[in-house]
Amino acid sequence: MGDVLVSARGLEVHFPVRGGGKGGGVLRAVDGVDLDVLRGETLGLVGESGCGKSTLGNALLRLVPPTGGTVTFDGTDVTSLDRRGLKEMRRRAGMVFQDPFASLDPRRTVAQTVSEPLEVHGLRSGRRERAARVAELLELVGLDPAVAGRYPHEFSGGQRQRVGIARALAGEPDFLVCDEAIASLDVSVQAQVLNLLRRLQRQLGLTLLFVSHDLSAVRHISDRIAVMYLGRIVEIGPAAAVGADPQMPYTQALLSAVPVPHPAKERARERIVLRGDVPSPSAVPSGCRFRTRCPYVFEPCDDVDPALQPAGAPGQLAACHLHGVEGTPVTETPEGVTADP
Amino acid sequence: MSIQPTPGPPPGQGRGGDRPPETPEEPPGGAPQREAGPAAPTLRPARPRWRETLSLLAHNPTAAIASVLLLLIVVVAFFDDTLAPQGANEISVADRLQPPSWEHPFGTDDLGRDILSRVILGASVSLRVGFLAVGFALVVGTLIGLLAGYYGRWVDDVLMRFMDMLFAFPAVLLAIAVLAVRGPGSGNTALAIGIVYTPIFARVTRASVLGVREEVYVRASRSVGASDWRILTRHILPNAAPPIIVQTSISLAFAVLAEAALSFLGLGTQPPNPSWGLMLAEGRGFIELAWWLAFFPGMAIFLTVLCFNLLGDGLRDVLDPRQRTQMAGSSRAAATETGGEA
Repeated sequence: MGDVLVSARGLEVHFPVRGGGKGGGVLRAVDGVDLDVLRGETLGLVGESGCGKSTLGNALLRLVPPTGGTVTFDGTDVTSLDRRGLKEMRRRAGMVFQDPFASLDPRRTVAQTVSEPLEVHGLRSGRRERAARVAELLELVGLDPAVAGRYPHEFSGGQRQRVGIARALAGEPDFLVCDEAIASLDVSVQAQVLNLLRRLQRQLGLTLLFVSHDLSAVRHISDRIAVMYLGRIVEIGPAAAVGADPQMPYTQALLSAVPVPHPAKERARERIVLRGDVPSPSAVPSGCRFRTRCPYVFEPCDDVDPALQPAGAPGQLAACHLHGVEGTPVTETPEGVTADP
Repeated sequence: MSIQPTPGPPPGQGRGGDRPPETPEEPPGGAPQREAGPAAPTLRPARPRWRETLSLLAHNPTAAIASVLLLLIVVVAFFDDTLAPQGANEISVADRLQPPSWEHPFGTDDLGRDILSRVILGASVSLRVGFLAVGFALVVGTLIGLLAGYYGRWVDDVLMRFMDMLFAFPAVLLAIAVLAVRGPGSGNTALAIGIVYTPIFARVTRASVLGVREEVYVRASRSVGASDWRILTRHILPNAAPPIIVQTSISLAFAVLAEAALSFLGLGTQPPNPSWGLMLAEGRGFIELAWWLAFFPGMAIFLTVLCFNLLGDGLRDVLDPRQRTQMAGSSRAAATETGGEA
């Protein structure tokens, strides 16, 4: 722990949007993200659907080209890598995808899928060596090596996701992005895959970016948690601190929505219900991007975009004017807040 | 072409047609085989995709009959010299314009040539031109469609506008133009028809690639560092193939027809070589006097074209992924998962 493996500075991914005014606008999927992923840690990235967390995960591996800012992977600038450098970077950084039914080529056997990184990077020469490595990888993810010759449609969702994990691990990566890796699995299988990931992370010393909208899963697996809202990281800190004492009103609302597995506590649980919908990422509000739904809005929120600043526990940062900036909370809803952006 | 089993099925296993209904790899028979795997895991698929396609095709009666007939026609075309009772140009003036009889089952033409022999010998000409033409269109068109669909942007614009230009020409006119430049003959006929059909393959391929390009497994392959070439050949082409295969089968029908039409117009195969279209043209003058001159080559064209079309329809059904899962997906037992995580 301590040194930074992957780092984003002012990372932006803007997509052009057709229609909607002349010339079309831009959709700010990722809009100025500063993020450090420390070597050997598991960083959980949470947020509502559409907040840009998957795009961020993809942009870190340059699977989506960033439109601004930089990404460095182990000291090298990813955004300016040539073809060969990019290839090596992709060996060292793997990705596990959300939908295990879509992420495996239906016409290729498990062995062909898992051995693709080996062939691409020339990691094992010869059929036999590759087959042996594939068997090793399948065993590592808890699959019977005998299934190597089978096609994806013969497997269940959990088994397919294991195949996807085996593929991601084939290049012996340092960094693994799990993009909603458990979201489309049955709940019982989710726990299995989650534990598999945690075991692999420890066993192989992986650095894990665990992207998910499932807060309880993220709390279960992560060392640190980053919360994303409308393309920006609004709170980041140690999992225990963010989970127990969130400093950003959005995180507080998010956490209050997680059911507690204890009937009495669950009944007593106080829920913060946010007003309205998430503003469209193609029309981000001025000032603090959360101000249209925040129960605590006050003067600076309208104009000043808050930066991440220390709040709460050591190592915990929140982007909120309640921490640091002077001002008086307003009781009345400021005008224009409820109007559609 | 697509109906012939490619060489090398594992020994001991029958071909598609011999298989019992549904999937033969039921747990009792299949499991022990697979359990032998762990010691020496293999990269070979347990059951290749094309074999599944074949066994599904065998259960589609029309497609199965069409395949068998086509196979027969191909075999006849291949062994035409041995099978034809007479040479193509053995003239016997005494026997001219004989109606069908035991001696000449399809009758004889105005020069006393045996029609059956000429139909058999013409099969190889017609089919060769068809296969060559479609082969050309398939290779060139698929390549263009792959590049246009995968790279998009200006590559797509340039390639597809060029295809549109070819497409805008009336097919026969374009073929006539090619033949006018290069002169008649079967080789040039094949080239002309091939050029006419190239845009169709380019379009079908491009459309199919556009769908496959966005698949997550393509992104997954890129995420492990695969090159464009690898992604195109290993992932996109195989998954984009079904409509191309169907198009191939249907185009073969049209190519045989086109060859007949061009020969009929005197631009394709030149006399005295036998070709179905040419025989049709030559028989036209005798249609009231001796119907068999035109009838039998016409039937040969009809049957071949019909069979290619029926096979195309059958392939379309069989290769449709949704139907495929209905027919085959459910019948296979899922793999066993070893030790769950706890």
